[in-house]
Amino acid sequence: MTEAVRNPRLHALGAASIELAEIVGGMGVLLARILVRIHKFDGEELVKNLYKMAVKSLPIVAVTALFTGAIMVIQAAVIVKRFNAEGLLGWGAGFGTLREIAPLLTALMISGRVGANNTAELGTMVVTEQIDALRVLAIDPIAFLIVPRFIAILATLVMMTLFADALALFGAAYTGQGLLGVEPMTFFNGLTGGLLDFGDVFNGLFKSFVFALVMALASCHFGLATKGGAPGVGRAVNASVVASAAGIFVLDYLVSFLG
Amino acid sequence: MLAFKNIKKSFGPKQVLNDVSFDVKAGECFFIIGASGVGKSVLIKHLVGLLACDSGEIWLDGEEISRFDEQQMGPVRKKCAMVFQHATLFDSMTCAENVALPLRKHKDMNAKDALAEAKKRLSVVHMQAFADRYPPELGDGMRKRVAIARALTVDPTYVLFDEPTTSLDPVSARRVDTLIRELCDKLGVTSIVVSHDLSSIFSIADRIVMLYKGKVLKIGTPAEFKATDNGIIQQFINGRAEGPMDL
Repeated sequence: MTEAVRNPRLHALGAASIELAEIVGGMGVLLARILVRIHKFDGEELVKNLYKMAVKSLPIVAVTALFTGAIMVIQAAVIVKRFNAEGLLGWGAGFGTLREIAPLLTALMISGRVGANNTAELGTMVVTEQIDALRVLAIDPIAFLIVPRFIAILATLVMMTLFADALALFGAAYTGQGLLGVEPMTFFNGLTGGLLDFGDVFNGLFKSFVFALVMALASCHFGLATKGGAPGVGRAVNASVVASAAGIFVLDYLVSFLG
Repeated sequence: MLAFKNIKKSFGPKQVLNDVSFDVKAGECFFIIGASGVGKSVLIKHLVGLLACDSGEIWLDGEEISRFDEQQMGPVRKKCAMVFQHATLFDSMTCAENVALPLRKHKDMNAKDALAEAKKRLSVVHMQAFADRYPPELGDGMRKRVAIARALTVDPTYVLFDEPTTSLDPVSARRVDTLIRELCDKLGVTSIVVSHDLSSIFSIADRIVMLYKGKVLKIGTPAEFKATDNGIIQQFINGRAEGPMDL
């Protein structure tokens, strides 16, 4: 009898490691299959997915961004008042929003709305044999279904992050005026006074691109790997949301080191 | 011509197909019958590369296709269309868009022309009035007819039907039967139908193969099946609960 069989904890650790390797490996293989077919995407499907993922996400991203900006100011209010540092409000809110909060919260919102929906849709297509039907019609499911979704998720998250950046700063500026009496122009001067530059915006957008990559791969991988009817679709959606969220936080940590 | 030669297929320890061999002639309406779980659907999925056999050969118009990869299966799939048991229309597309998709992909039509052609094709199966409806809004029989229209868009030589009349009311079932028969008679299409609908079998089949315990039990015409004294076949075609058939 091996040590792993005798020790249930070791056995569970081994099984979890194999499962993790299967997921990461599966996502890697899927990425390779997508990249090979990236030029063969279906334009109509891409437009359909961009509308469904980006345009329909605008209201929820707008609400999230406006309140996020407001919250940043509320949290900063105590310190700003104590030190009369109204001039730094724009920099403080902008730094946190552009580099961290807007990309992170937008990614989590899009993961819940778009990623979960993507997995459920693909999973349902797998268990109802719609993917097999595509193959039998001699239509490559990766080129037709997955590549447009992959591109749409990347484009959606980057665009939504930019949109969230603007709205969060707008929300922060007017919350600063209402709560602390800081004029929006003072807030704007704090933003553009030299402490922040496009590098900070780019840093946030790079993060959102990396988050979108993990979200697109996880949602498509778990969708295509769905087994076992309706409960299987539920399990796939659950796994996709958990993997996306965990991936987003781990990658956020790693990318933050890049500066 | 299509031929299955010594096909074997197992799923884990369960052997589903055990040395299955038969051929199908061009233009005939050929039925594959047998009890549920005997491997009828499994067998036809081998023909379009959805499953790979453990051993044996599949010959299609002089080509051995059982070891073809996904890319090589492309031309085979254009030649052999398949209508699944549950129609498998794409839920996010209207009926016309479902039919237009293979036209866009394989006939180099733009979206507008493909949709116009799709509506014409839907009229062949009497579904033109439902062209702009989504599949979940339709009944089973209507979805099957749209699936048949979609399968025919690539002008296949062979059409595989997986239980085309299951879950349909008798009138819809007979309409689908008529459609399958017309494909053979008017368009010269070879139809391979998996079914255990006795009305369909004895009204439109040219020849029948019966699978039992993973093997071919008998191949013959409907008349030969009716005349046989094999107890298992008689129990199946007469739909008797009692008999020698081991389920």
